[in-house]
Amino acid sequence: MNREEVCNIKVLVANRGEIACRILRACIEAGHPTVAVYAGNDADSMFVEMADEAVLLMGDTIGETYLDQRQIIEAARSTGATAIHPGFGFLSERADFATAVLEAGLTWVGPSPQAIEKMGDKMTARQTMREAGVPVIPGEEVEEEDETAALEALRQASTRVGYPLLLKASSGGGGKGMRAVHDPADFDQAAAGARREAVAAFGDGRIYIERLLSGSKHIEIQVLADQKGRTVHLGERECSVQRRHQKVFEEAPGPTMTPELRDAMGQAAIAAAKAVDYVGAGTVEFLLAPSGEFFFLEMNTRIQVEHPVTELVTGVDIVREQLRIAQGEPMSCGDLMLRGHAIEVRLYAEDAANGFLPAIGPLAVFRPPEGPGIRLDTGVREGDEVTPNYDPMLAKLIVWAPSRPEALQKMRRALEEFVVLGTTTNLRFLRELCDEEAVVSGATTTTTIDDLWPNGWSPSPSRLLEDASLLAASAAEQFGLHRRSASTGQTTGEVAPNPFITLQRRYP
Amino acid sequence: MQHLFGSPDGPVEVTLTKDGNEFVLEGARAMLTSRSQLKIQLPDGTTELAHVAKVGDAWWVHLRGHTFRWERIEPGSTSADEGGGLVAPMPGKVLEVLVSPGQQVKAGDALMVLEAMKMEHRIVASTDGVVAAVHFAAGEQVMQGASLLELEESN
Repeated sequence: MNREEVCNIKVLVANRGEIACRILRACIEAGHPTVAVYAGNDADSMFVEMADEAVLLMGDTIGETYLDQRQIIEAARSTGATAIHPGFGFLSERADFATAVLEAGLTWVGPSPQAIEKMGDKMTARQTMREAGVPVIPGEEVEEEDETAALEALRQASTRVGYPLLLKASSGGGGKGMRAVHDPADFDQAAAGARREAVAAFGDGRIYIERLLSGSKHIEIQVLADQKGRTVHLGERECSVQRRHQKVFEEAPGPTMTPELRDAMGQAAIAAAKAVDYVGAGTVEFLLAPSGEFFFLEMNTRIQVEHPVTELVTGVDIVREQLRIAQGEPMSCGDLMLRGHAIEVRLYAEDAANGFLPAIGPLAVFRPPEGPGIRLDTGVREGDEVTPNYDPMLAKLIVWAPSRPEALQKMRRALEEFVVLGTTTNLRFLRELCDEEAVVSGATTTTTIDDLWPNGWSPSPSRLLEDASLLAASAAEQFGLHRRSASTGQTTGEVAPNPFITLQRRYP
Repeated sequence: MQHLFGSPDGPVEVTLTKDGNEFVLEGARAMLTSRSQLKIQLPDGTTELAHVAKVGDAWWVHLRGHTFRWERIEPGSTSADEGGGLVAPMPGKVLEVLVSPGQQVKAGDALMVLEAMKMEHRIVASTDGVVAAVHFAAGEQVMQGASLLELEESN
């Protein structure tokens, strides 16, 4: 028996959707048997079909299913899985889950619970980083638990930090418990609001203050650390283009990055990882101010949504490395080599013309673009239904080209080719984003979308094209194209009985 | 041929003209390819494939990188291809016409035989009724979705 067989882990993926598919594919390629866990409303999802085995999680809410640690560990036991990969979101940054997995005698594909804990609490992370010599955004932490005392301490701290400033929840994420304050007169109300939101969302009302660095870029460094003591960085990703604190357009390398700055930020990221004895794949997020100074924002102790752009420019399969590292093997990647340029956009089921409100509906047509340099990471396919149950991200479209201008050209082409019918998506928004001067020149900041469309975005098709689309709709009706039920399973409800259904059986 | 669509700015009325196998609107033309895809020729002569799907009453159209959604407002009366209309499910050739106008048929009776994708397909009556019209003769090519015969339902 060779060594490979001895240490071949059987991986349970404690996630759903596109990231579950991404991880399952890596496991299949590496020869690891796979187990999916799924909620009842995901029974027909792609990731469930992709896994060797699938275990139904009993319950209706996310809390009763994908967040139910006991059920997931039990699923690993009953299927003989020996490792758990948490993906991102859900239980990926829950130190108590990592602990429970390890205590169950399973392999945890991720960093130690201690590392998750130190980085998960933002105030602790800031202190840890300061001690490790990693620059943090000027600001102050307030450890006070009592509400009145905390608000008073925050008010005093605000005068030292200066305006404009940002209030953030220590347990925060996703923009919850976060407030930007430009005027001292608004401070009390904002602080009380942030605290209330933080208590409601995280059960922890601790707030800290950071100076608001406007005009900054969001730059993050991918790190990998194995159990053999090696920690490397895989260069940066720029993810400045965000709407409502969610990234929509990410690229590598950063368009304004220099080798010197990359090296400095890379070394800071490695120092950050080493400060918490980090193992596995992680991302250290920084704000890069117009002055060229960079500051630690937070560390994500998991695989990141936008990891594919790094994979395309470095040639490193980050998920495969996670699996290798979890098994105690040395990581396989060599010295950092960057090649070409990669861009990712996030395709959301949302109405970009209406405040980015989530949309639902059938994916009557889902036809992704093809061709050289195009990668699609998705967990849906044609015929699926977009429901309000989960995150509205449908897919990540990633392109690679030898240069940034060519990558943008390829992204434009790919977005024009991408057809999604039946559910409103942000495809056109993403397409038009690629034409904006800030994006073309690479001068994007975290406020780019708000600056470009202060009153909201709306599509701008020509009158000619709009008329042509009306012709298409009328002619489609006239030609009876809606009767083509084979390609769009959703439209059969109102269609007359098809005389061919029995005949196709007779003439196979 | 009039079609009415709802839009955020109010209803839009579209009047198509038929020119052979094509439909025309404001200098733009719509036709079916040999693979039954909808092709649009814009007034400047360039052509583009349109992807379409009907979900509920709405037509979703993808054309040149833009996606449109047009909610169709059904006319009060029934149109020709509602109900008893029997349509070609794929493009092909009529091999045989088994009925003639005025003929009484029963549900399940074969009405026409089509050859498509190297297979023979029978068009059968979905209900009991009387053949009101036959639109194609043996040997003729039909497009996908084309109305082949009309059947008047007898109750």
